[in-house]
Amino acid sequence: MTLQEIIAAVGDGLPSSVRCEPDHRGVMLRVTPEHWLAALAFARERLDCDFFDWLTAVDEAGEGFSVVAHVYSLAGRHHVLVGTLLPRAAPRLPTATGIYRGAAWHERETYEMFGVVFDGHPHLAPLLLPGGFEGHPLRKDFVLAARAAKEWPGAKEPGERSVPRARRRAPPGVPDGWGPS
Amino acid sequence: MAAVDLPPPGLGPGPGVITVDAGGACSLRVFDAGLACCGVEVAAALRRAGALVAAAAGDMGEQSAPLTIFVVAGTVTDKLAPFVLNAFQDTPTPRRVLSFGACSNSGGPYWDSYCVTKGVDQLIPVDVYVPGCPPRPEALLEGLALVLRSRGERR
Amino acid sequence: MTGGPPAAGDLPARSRGVIALLEENCTACMLCARECPDWCIYIESHKEPVPGHEYGAGGVGQVPGDELGAVGSGPAPGPAVAPRGGDGGSGSGADPARGPAGRGRQRVRNVLDRFAIDFSLCMYCGICVEACPYDALFWSPEFSYAETDIAALTHEQGRLREWMWTVPPPPAHDAGAPRPR
Repeated sequence: MTLQEIIAAVGDGLPSSVRCEPDHRGVMLRVTPEHWLAALAFARERLDCDFFDWLTAVDEAGEGFSVVAHVYSLAGRHHVLVGTLLPRAAPRLPTATGIYRGAAWHERETYEMFGVVFDGHPHLAPLLLPGGFEGHPLRKDFVLAARAAKEWPGAKEPGERSVPRARRRAPPGVPDGWGPS
Repeated sequence: MAAVDLPPPGLGPGPGVITVDAGGACSLRVFDAGLACCGVEVAAALRRAGALVAAAAGDMGEQSAPLTIFVVAGTVTDKLAPFVLNAFQDTPTPRRVLSFGACSNSGGPYWDSYCVTKGVDQLIPVDVYVPGCPPRPEALLEGLALVLRSRGERR
Repeated sequence: MTGGPPAAGDLPARSRGVIALLEENCTACMLCARECPDWCIYIESHKEPVPGHEYGAGGVGQVPGDELGAVGSGPAPGPAVAPRGGDGGSGSGADPARGPAGRGRQRVRNVLDRFAIDFSLCMYCGICVEACPYDALFWSPEFSYAETDIAALTHEQGRLREWMWTVPPPPAHDAGAPRPR
């Protein structure tokens, strides 16, 4: 399928609220959460995207979590990115495993790293993190404790014996009160 | 010095255990917990371990039981840590531990990660640390030689 | 490769065995410590004053007490003020033709106290070697420095200097390469 055919098909087959952004490799479809499954099914059936590459989330600091899936057409050799934006407070999305079985582990990882719940997932349990891990590490507000605990060796200016108290700074993202005293 | 034949990987007393035999003077078993990229270097090194043992066998004297060296090569994630610990506890004595590469020495480039054990010595006692990212296969052979030279200490 | 494993001396230049420090070139600018992704370079330094160069009738470009010319290694303390009308080399005798005597302002230079690399953390990326503006860090192909104690893997400038003598000379430029600047 050529790029023009893809864009035309998207215009025909998906609601007008879906934004289609072409680039040199294919298209990115930006959809609302209600159209998430419809867009994936459309990519599989109408755009010949039979290869599921990855699914992940991005913590968009102000706006919520955007969940993005990358699928690829082996015959047509075009890429399709499908993305949606979820509210930060309760991020939920229907599972894509009904359309792409390969999304199962990707959704498990997205769940444990960001806290996005995928309704209807056959086994939404943590995949990579050890049992008992608290928090969602890839969220922007998750503090990387090791960097707060160790003093940065580059904090001193050349020729300084030690960093003056007034200039001591915690690493970016670390709340007040953390770090070595 | 007897000729040294390495068994093909996969055969022998169990998966990941390579037996290096120097004709009765000593026997060295290397258990390779190859968790990540360093595991490739260890695999490359163990193909040439015969030269090391042939050189070090003169130092070892008579051994009643073969020495097992537990080589941890690769990043020890928190999820995998209990398995590494179990594997160490199942390793027969006399045994030594060799930590291979920055990740198993101290967490290495992932020292600040939320899910990496900062060094396998947080779980098990380590006898020799081989620095590198990854260390050369020859560095493993030097590390094994250091284990054999400092074998007075028991773990 | 035939025979046993290669010795460090057989390895090509810039093989990533260990990082060596040439202390004379180091100005404690802290760039390597700041760029290191692992935070494994520890530098301590302090500032020392350097008296200004004397010029004019009092003597040509000579720092009092510095007969051996020790001042001037490391970063140049700034362009020496040229004696007016002088020929710049006739010794330290007073010469009214050189104009009024004076002394340049006092400069400050960094003195390196401690330079340590923790090789248990180091990932041998080479960013420090590339970042150093004064060519003080070099790659050495040595690999036989395993230790039985992890604290012994933090090497100070004495040991880093010993590794300098194992750094092979750089290979010759390719035939068609542009001339080095």
